Amino acid sequence: MSNRRSRQSSSALRISDDQMIDLVSKLCQLLPEIRERRRSDKVSASKVLQETCNYIRKLHREVDNLSDRLSQLLDAVDEDSHEASVIRSLLM
Amino acid sequence: MHMQPTSSMKEEFLQKWQMGLQIYRPLIDNTSVSERRKAIKLSADVAMASLRRGTTCWSRALIQKTATEDNFLVRQMLSGIKAETLINKKLPKVMCHRKIVRRSKKILRRRKSRSAIEEVAAKARKLVKKKTQGLRNVVPGGEFMSNDVLLIQETLDYIVSLQTQVNVMRSIVDAAEAGSERTAYYLGKLKFAIEDG
Repeated sequence: MSNRRSRQSSSALRISDDQMIDLVSKLCQLLPEIRERRRSDKVSASKVLQETCNYIRKLHREVDNLSDRLSQLLDAVDEDSHEASVIRSLLM
Repeated sequence: MHMQPTSSMKEEFLQKWQMGLQIYRPLIDNTSVSERRKAIKLSADVAMASLRRGTTCWSRALIQKTATEDNFLVRQMLSGIKAETLINKKLPKVMCHRKIVRRSKKILRRRKSRSAIEEVAAKARKLVKKKTQGLRNVVPGGEFMSNDVLLIQETLDYIVSLQTQVNVMRSIVDAAEAGSERTAYYLGKLKFAIEDG
């Protein structure tokens, strides 16, 4: 993906439109919201970037939620119960 | 760069995450729920970041950030992979000195007289710039990526890594919540899910 412009010392000045288009289309493939649309629907780069932010925040929330549930599970089970040992063997 | 979580990524994440939790094992029985939660999340983050072996900006930034919250854990988890260098390594010097960039942009603007098309393109680029700022806020190390191309490349990799993390954590939590009778079923499903890629 080399681009003569990116070899300039201050590469933030000019970004190849082709490169951006390529990267944005790759983002599209990752975003469930956009992937599910019909192909004929066009999505602007701005919308893709917005969706990307939203998706990342959603994934962060999910990790937090899963950490919560897991920590409560470890708390709720009886120390000596069969369940406790099963969970511990799953994780530890 | 993978475009979706592979089974080897998921397996490696699980192993590393388990290792991180094992470090907490002696403490886990005597701590509060919120401390356990923090341990679970931090080890999951280090496990995710270490998959990249220091090759991406976001993963280095995440490791550095986690090290400020629990230096011991990070050092233990990375002890095989040159922990010192990862924790102390400077983030890449792709950040351009903002003053220079602003001044150069001003000069360029003065020299050119823009056609209508260029005006539209400039507006679109400005809007994109605003949205990329949002990305910088959610991607670890984003504040150091003033190059938009780098930012989006890092974002792509970060998303795939997050998907891996969520995927494996969800399987584990589902299995654990299912209870002992059904755990065998879920363990099989987890194994299948990991192998399936």
